[in-house]
This record gives sequence, structure tokens and C-alpha cells, in this order.
Amino acid sequence: MPPDCTCQNPLVPSIVKVVEIVDETYDIKNFYVATDQGIPFEVLPGQLCMVSLLPVGEGMFSVTWQAEDHLQFAIRRVGLLTDALHEIEIGQELGIRGPYGNGFPVRQCEGKNMLFIGGGIGLAPLRSFIKHCFRRRKRYGQIQVLYGARSVADLCFKQELSVEWPAQPETRIFTTIDRPEADWDGKVAFVPAYLEELAPDPENTVAVVCGPPIMITLALKSLQKLGFKDDQVITTLEGRMKCGIGKCGRCNIGSEYICLDGPVFDLAHLRHLPPEW
Amino acid sequence: MKSFAKSAITVVLDRLAEQTRTYVPMRDGVTSNFSPWSERRASDLALNSLNTTFSPKGIVFPQTERLYDFAVDGQRADISGTHAETGENILFGARACDRKAFAALDQVFLRRGYVDTNYKARRDGLTVIGRDCLQPGPFCFCDSMGVDPMGADGADVLLHETTEEFGWEPLTEKGQALTLRLNDLLTEKELIRPESAGCRLEVNVAGLPEKLRGMFDSPVWDELSTFCMNCGVCTYICPVCHCFDIQVMNNGSSGCRFRCWDSCMYPEYNLMAGGHNPREGKRDRFRNRFLHKLEFFQERYGSFGCSGCGRCLVTCPHSLNMVLVINRLGEVKVDAS
Repeated sequence: MPPDCTCQNPLVPSIVKVVEIVDETYDIKNFYVATDQGIPFEVLPGQLCMVSLLPVGEGMFSVTWQAEDHLQFAIRRVGLLTDALHEIEIGQELGIRGPYGNGFPVRQCEGKNMLFIGGGIGLAPLRSFIKHCFRRRKRYGQIQVLYGARSVADLCFKQELSVEWPAQPETRIFTTIDRPEADWDGKVAFVPAYLEELAPDPENTVAVVCGPPIMITLALKSLQKLGFKDDQVITTLEGRMKCGIGKCGRCNIGSEYICLDGPVFDLAHLRHLPPEW
Repeated sequence: MKSFAKSAITVVLDRLAEQTRTYVPMRDGVTSNFSPWSERRASDLALNSLNTTFSPKGIVFPQTERLYDFAVDGQRADISGTHAETGENILFGARACDRKAFAALDQVFLRRGYVDTNYKARRDGLTVIGRDCLQPGPFCFCDSMGVDPMGADGADVLLHETTEEFGWEPLTEKGQALTLRLNDLLTEKELIRPESAGCRLEVNVAGLPEKLRGMFDSPVWDELSTFCMNCGVCTYICPVCHCFDIQVMNNGSSGCRFRCWDSCMYPEYNLMAGGHNPREGKRDRFRNRFLHKLEFFQERYGSFGCSGCGRCLVTCPHSLNMVLVINRLGEVKVDAS
């Protein structure tokens, strides 16, 4: 959290340019943004940015990768702003402000085995942490990624899931879809069920979960069944946000704000808060 | 003590308003509000009425305010101007409850990591002339919420009211500056400060935040919210409610982004793109509003998100007000297990 300062109006964005757009699925695009000098500001894995298409609106997005010279936001088309974002082309200037929130506890997880559990677009924030681990591979133990989507067409970051990440040392990637499909010979199961089937060892392991709220709820239960303690489980939440700085009120869970105190919560902490997410 | 005769009130207000916009309680049709003295008729002055329909929070946190302008040209986008009013204002006649509410808003907007630029500019530029509250009204319960109706907290000057006079007690440098401005209108007088009659309405909030921690799933929330219409008027007239929306005004190639008050009572408040809504039902929203004021605000900032001004008692169409809710929550037996 930054110190109390009035040096710059925290609600006013700066301008960045879209330098690359990658189609991940039929409804997910990964937008690479940068200023002429490179990244607009330093971002930690799991932090959030308010991105705006100025005449349309602003929305809070998790950073899906903080590269050296640009930031990436994988954005699914679900509403007014994201529909408009999906129409833009390389070169488009956007507003950006942030970074917001606590981010993943990347340092505290060093020395641990990492179990990433993602569903749908929920892989976007996890990817910032997963790639962070691969950049510093020796600092983390075994890495497992369990990722599920509704269908093959909904799987994002396919190249990384099927080629790049499995090639990393001591890394296992498990991908599943919800319903059988003709050209899919991989796993068909919901993420929580597949998780219980895989039964990863909780010993010295941290599980990081992100996906639709129902998947998170069920995956947290499955992890508990598998013997994961509450402080071994981390999730990242979303909520409707307007300010990003803990003032506009709407992303509260109990006395905490997702934008400021989250979006990353460990389960031990989350159990003290109302289940309103 | 320095003082001026009540009969000279318009002279004093004229003098203050000469240099600085001065907000004074004024009648406005069937409602009342703190309005700039220079823009209203003296006959609308409502110094004797109790709490104004609307709180003075809009002076530091306007109902709608422009944040910045933008211009777009093809793919190019520019942020062309930011707005933060830095002018000075005077708030005349603020009672202890409304000053306590300012202290709560200060917690939200000025602390916990980020400082809200626009709020700070307005707050820094505001001089608060408080007044004793000798006769709290039938809906007032400030002293139950830890507010002293005769206290000086949050005032730069405190007006002591007697039958004929207003005693003028400057408390801060800002207050001293106003004293200089009024010097020839103030006379030194021995004033006997009457005691406040105190609030007739009482609520018991002792231990309430702790008790509420175990009441999230209580059926009392279904019961209490049954008649709530989610009209949101409570959030607009509340001096502490601070939720806001940020929206865009788009004129094609240019526009502005503004913020405006919002209400946690509305279904769209938490509705996310994609359709998920963590507080979908009326009960959920009602519960969140009252827990926010009575439990969460206390946990986060160390004070209640309610100053006992009583406006929601006057305004809620179904009388689902703070006093009713606190009393009902107090009755509920919580299973110790």
C-alpha cells in the first residue's frame, strides 16, 4: 500500500498504447499495453489495474503478465466495456491507473510446491504467478497447474499449457473440459472433481485458486478434503469496483475491500469474512 | 466571550459571504439544505430548524463532480484536464452530529493508504462554524452514538447559543482568521451557556459490533428487510454514506469522467459484467448497509458509520431506520456456540 500522499490524483489515469493483441479464444483477447518508455508502472503478480477505453468506461482487470516492456491483460468479452475493447486494434490508446491490491505472496511461497487451480478466464491472474515461478524456477518446488474450461474452444493460453509449461522442469500440467467433445482425447471433468481424483499431496504445498465463484467455492472444499490447511490455500477474488482505492464502497467483503486489502486472500483469512463474493 | 446579537445574523453572514462562499441551513420548499448564503433569500434562513433534510456532506463530497476531461481522435486519447476545487468555503451552523460525520468521511477519504485528491482539496478549504445543540429533536440520538451535542469536536469556531446572542469561540487558526474578519461586529460579553436538553431517543450500541460478528446468518435480516423498497433515500440523506459511482459523459470526440453518489441499496451496485452479483437479494443489500455502519466501519476505522443525526428516521418511507434496526438487533438472542 502506498503511503498517504497527494502527489497525484489516484482516480486520474495515464495513457498507454496497445502494442499487441493476441486472440486467445473466440471471446478472450490478450492485450499488451505499454508507453513509449515501456511499462507504465511496476506491477506485482496478482495485482489489478483500472483500464479504460475513455469514451466507454473503465474496468478493473488483473494483470496476466508483467513483461519487461509491457503489461498484459487477458480480457473476456462479457459486457459493454469488454465488447468495445474487443473491437479495438493495435495502436489504440487506453487509460490505465494502478496498480491496485496486494498481489500474490510470491516471496512467502518460495521453497514451496505450487499447485495452481484455474477455471476459464481465472487462469489470467494465475498466469502472472505461474510465469513468475518459471522465471525463478529454482526458488519454487514442484509446480502443478490444474486448468479447466467449459470446452476446448474456451481453453486459453493453449500454447503455454500444452507446450511451454510442460517443458519446464518438475512441472505437471493437467487440463480438463466440462463436457466430452469429438476431437478431445484429454480429461473431461469439472475442476473440483478432477482435483480430488489427482489428490495432490498437501505436504509443503501452497494451492492458488482462481475461477468462477462456484468453482472457487467447490475447489476450496475439495482442497480441505485433501488435507490442505486454510493457510495453505490462496484465492484471488473479484468484485465490482469503481475507485480501486477503498473509497467507493462497493467491493467490500465485511470490513475489507477487495481492491485494497485483496484481491488475494488466504483461506484462513477469508473464513473470518462474510461469504459475499 | 466574543458574541453577536442573533438579530445581527444577516450582517454577520453577509460579512462572511463577502469573501468566502458560506453555506447556511436554508429552507428550500418542503426540504432544507446547507445552501450558499448569497444565493438565497434571508427569509429562507433555517437556523432554528433542527437537522436539515440533506446533510452538509455535499460541500466536501459533491453529489456529482467532474474528475477529468478527455479527448479522442482516432486511436489517440488525451486526458486534458483534471478538476479539484481548491476554493475556500465556510459551513455555518454545523451541529455536532454533522461534524462527527465529517470525521467519519475523513477516515474514508484521507486515510488507509490513499488520499482522495478532490475530497482533500475541499476539506482543507473548509472552515466549520459549529453550534451548540441545545434542544436535540425528536429523532436525534447522537449522544447514544458517542457524540456530545454541546461538544466542540470538528469545529473551527463554536457558536454558543443563548436567548439573544451567539457566543463566538474560535478554536483553531482557521477560526481565528474568521474572528479577525468579524472583529468590528463582535462584542465582548459575559454569556451563561445553557445546558443541552439532551437526546430523548436512546439506543444501546454497547457490544453491538462484537455481537454482530455472530449475526451474519441471522433470520432477523430477512425480517428487517421485508418492507425495504431499496429506494436508497437513506444513503442519500445520510451524512456518512460515502459510496460513489464513476461514470462517463461521452460527447463523441470528447467527454468527461465524473463521480456521483451511489447507493448500496440498488441491485446494480454489485452487479458484475457477466451477471454475477454477490449481493443479489434485497436482504443481502440491507444487511450489508447496516453491518457496514455498525460493524465493518467500526472494525476498519474505529468508529460507527452513524452519527445519530436522525435523518433516516425522518425520511425512510417505511421507518426502517437506524434506531429501529439497532433496537431489533439488540433484542435478538445470539447462540453463544
